Amino acid sequence: MMIQAKNLYFSYTGSPPYVLDGMNLEIRRGEYVSVVGENGCGKSTLMRLILNFLKPTLGTIRTHAERIGYVPQKNDFSNSGFPITVREMLDSYRRLLKLKDRDIPAESLRRVGMSAFSRALMGTLSGGQTQKVLIARALIGDPDLLILDEPSTGVDLGSQREIYGFLKKINRERKITIVSVEHNLEAAVANSTLIYHLVSGKGHLCSPSQYAGEYLRKNRIGEEHAGL
Amino acid sequence: MLDYSFMRNALFVSVFISILCPCIGIFLVLRRYSMIGDTLSHASLAGVAIGLLTGQNPVLGAFVFTSVCGALIEFLRTYFKKYTDLILTIVLALSVGTAITIISSGRLHANADSFLFGSILTVTRFDMVMVVILSAVSVLALIFLYHQMLYIAYDEEAAKVAGVRVRLINYVFSILVASAISMSIRIVGVLVLSSMIALPVATALQLGRGFKITLLFSIFFSVVDIMTGLFVSYYIGVAPGGFTALVSVAVLVLVLLAKKVSASLRSAR
Repeated sequence: MMIQAKNLYFSYTGSPPYVLDGMNLEIRRGEYVSVVGENGCGKSTLMRLILNFLKPTLGTIRTHAERIGYVPQKNDFSNSGFPITVREMLDSYRRLLKLKDRDIPAESLRRVGMSAFSRALMGTLSGGQTQKVLIARALIGDPDLLILDEPSTGVDLGSQREIYGFLKKINRERKITIVSVEHNLEAAVANSTLIYHLVSGKGHLCSPSQYAGEYLRKNRIGEEHAGL
Repeated sequence: MLDYSFMRNALFVSVFISILCPCIGIFLVLRRYSMIGDTLSHASLAGVAIGLLTGQNPVLGAFVFTSVCGALIEFLRTYFKKYTDLILTIVLALSVGTAITIISSGRLHANADSFLFGSILTVTRFDMVMVVILSAVSVLALIFLYHQMLYIAYDEEAAKVAGVRVRLINYVFSILVASAISMSIRIVGVLVLSSMIALPVATALQLGRGFKITLLFSIFFSVVDIMTGLFVSYYIGVAPGGFTALVSVAVLVLVLLAKKVSASLRSAR
């Protein structure tokens, strides 16, 4: 088991109403789980609990990962004026993880096809390029759990295809467990092995085809809108 | 000019502060915390007043009181998460209130005015020893914590995921800021001290380079600003702090103009 939440309650004030309201979740190693739901349903809160940025109000959440890679949402990551090159950003991260091999940042960039940008300032990259570099950073230190917060926000369609293709590949080939908070339902259905659908602080796991069939039609979200 | 021992002392201290201030300042500016530098430099006046009142060295008093205020800012963040500017107002009220109360009581055995405007005449041997010790400790801490502090400034959440103890390092950083400020008040003075911390960094940021190069240029501009300010203020007979601040602004304007001219020339080609 990679992530286990039991009777999990969370409220930012410490008392009801709860953002997460007695939810249970079990994610096995090697899964690619997309967490979906309406705005304000607790997706990002759940992610922050998994990352241990927040503590549960009640109940427990345990992550059994040896190393976690984290890709923040690009919109939250608005530090574009910061004077830092791609190489500096990755190399400092390597040092934080106390990894001695100096070639790791270059190798990580190569894997996401961004080697040519190693000397570029982070603030000069496009949305898709920034996302790829942040994925390269998350992969430093070979994590067994990768957590992403809306990886396609502010990213053009071509880059979205490349990013999801890459995520699917590392999930299959390297057995990295992926938990991705998604607003992009098409990407969630097309790429994940399981979908965790959160509604009013509670959720349940289902297969992508189940989700596409049951929930999209039940909630009358047009197929055209959802891109399915 | 260097025949005078007070000038040699001032020069000695200036070299250290011109290196240390931008090293601390770059993290303050990039975390959008420039106003913390301003608040803590005002807090140092209360430390000076307490030092003079109790018969202790005022620079030591400034270091201790500014460190406490730095830690207090960090502590209050837990209670005022969404109103961080309010924290600075609270600390400013506490420290300036303390300073004014002590100075106006008439119980000080020395004049605190020189700390407001800065003076090259007042650097003592004890100050020089303190500057060497604080600089050595600060530089070692900066080297040791360089990547952690860089990441806390750039992406605090990623730093947490990588296992950086953000809270602890923020407290250490508060002490480093206090150290840079208490070292600088003798020469630069409380009123314009924050400009010494922020302006060389603001100038270096205009060059649009990576972090290391920006840091090196911040140190370069800081040395130029402080040395020019120190020497020229001596010859024209004004307080070094105020004149150094003017030099810093002039250098920033020159760099901005050079950038504009260079951009115009490039687009004309």
